[in-house]
Amino acid sequence: MGAIELDGLTKDYGTVLANDDITFTVEPGEIFGYLGPNGAGKTTTIRMLLGFINPTAGTARVLGNDIRDRRALIDAKHRIGHLSDDQAFDEQATGAEILDLHAAVKGDDRRAELLDLFEPPLDRRVRDYSSGNVQKLGLVTTFMHDPDLVILDEPTGGLDPLVKHRFAGFLREERERGVTVFFSSHILSEVRRLCDRVGIIRDGRLVTVDPIETLLDRSGKAVRINSADPIPVEFIDLDGVHNLETSVPDDHAVDPHTEFTECTFTFTGDINALLARLPDHEMVDVSIEEAPLEDVFLRFYGGDEDV
Amino acid sequence: MFEFARYDAAKRIKGSAYLAAGMSLLAAFAVWAYPSYSEAMDMEQLHEAFPEPMIQAFNIQTMASLEGFLAVELYMFGWVILLGLYFAYSAASIVADDIDRGRMDTLLSMPVSRERLALERFASLGVPILTVNVVTPVVVLVSADLIGESLSVVDVVALHLLSIPYLFACGGIGLLASVLFDRASVAQRVALGVTFGIYLVESLLTGTDYEGLGAIAPMRYFDPNEVLLDGTYDLAGAAILIGMMTALVIVSQTWFVRRDI
Repeated sequence: MGAIELDGLTKDYGTVLANDDITFTVEPGEIFGYLGPNGAGKTTTIRMLLGFINPTAGTARVLGNDIRDRRALIDAKHRIGHLSDDQAFDEQATGAEILDLHAAVKGDDRRAELLDLFEPPLDRRVRDYSSGNVQKLGLVTTFMHDPDLVILDEPTGGLDPLVKHRFAGFLREERERGVTVFFSSHILSEVRRLCDRVGIIRDGRLVTVDPIETLLDRSGKAVRINSADPIPVEFIDLDGVHNLETSVPDDHAVDPHTEFTECTFTFTGDINALLARLPDHEMVDVSIEEAPLEDVFLRFYGGDEDV
Repeated sequence: MFEFARYDAAKRIKGSAYLAAGMSLLAAFAVWAYPSYSEAMDMEQLHEAFPEPMIQAFNIQTMASLEGFLAVELYMFGWVILLGLYFAYSAASIVADDIDRGRMDTLLSMPVSRERLALERFASLGVPILTVNVVTPVVVLVSADLIGESLSVVDVVALHLLSIPYLFACGGIGLLASVLFDRASVAQRVALGVTFGIYLVESLLTGTDYEGLGAIAPMRYFDPNEVLLDGTYDLAGAAILIGMMTALVIVSQTWFVRRDI
């Protein structure tokens, strides 16, 4: 049984199909990244999973409970932590008062430990909080009852880099303890650092679900070659070369269309075929790196949308 | 259980104290003003000087006794109208304000049903309702004693007791508005408008062919004149008000549970 199982989950607002027949499973104990640009439908999915809005078709099971069964879902929330993308608390209350309410309703086995880690200002009223502090308080309320499943909607927004780093480490430790994490984001570096598998959503439709390695493999390598002397362009006539750009400095009297001293390209072919050709020329510098994940997403988003 | 009721009740204590202080001031002022009014003019003449719609709207029966004077100046105005509107307004933010400000997701991510959340928060209105009805009668009775008038302690206490279901019923109107509208400001305006509207319907249609319409108004079942002047207590009216409140809460819960947030 998956920790979260979506089965044709659909939300049709009439004018907008916010979620269109989404089906995938989040396995127990994994960190699953749910990715897409703003407005893709990530929050809609999450709000259906938590019973805040009703699906217009399809359903989902969260920790084995059908989301249409209100009683069962409420009961399951003893074991679920949720951080909203727009976390908000009673502005008149202090952080401590908020935590006391949450503790009374769902328990607070891990409160002290989480307060040490995230340090929200407990004695101050929430209305005087910065957005980062609201987020820190939210992280405490999300994990304080030691949930088996956490659903995080853009969890690192507003956090400073130091806390972000601490949060990433914490999330990995949670996974080691067997906690399942479902986590939406549009920040790619975050996903690469944290997630085991990734689902990509665009315009309400699920585009792909893949292990993060597969995505990175598929994305290929960013290759940059800098040679001492001009090389004929046939050198890089290989399968899997994309986005090729070549150049020669002006002092070399050669045609830049036939020869180059510098080139960059994305390479999805066999890396050995490329390496075998390198010793034929004197190199100044060669770098072969993982392609930026942005490129991968651009491929899935299929355009130059802001991701 | 009752975590949300306790939390909200604690938050309402300060406001309740201000409310009780304000209404006590109004009460003390009404009692203090009575002797100078009754000495300066013939109260029966004052009564006759009021235009008919006003007599009807305030249900003015007599101003020639402290009981009659208080029934109009303090209880019709202060309780039936002011507090009735205040609690409708106040209840209108119970659900809508949290949705408006994005706090509802945080609340509902806790293991709590929407029915329970709405009911517990509605119940926390009991703090201001009880506070104002415990403090003010003491002020009324003490002030009356100070100006040498005697009031029936039992009648005054009964009046305040009977106002409790009335104020909760007005709160029920606010709660319903609160689940129907996402924006607190809209819910509050609708709650005020509807409560005042049915008050006008009830008072101005009395004696006309459309009198029946007033049956939906909580004001029909709570009459300060009857209690203070005649010493009769409309227990059936109180029961109807409790029924009204219950119905409004159940309808609100049902709507709240089914709707998208």
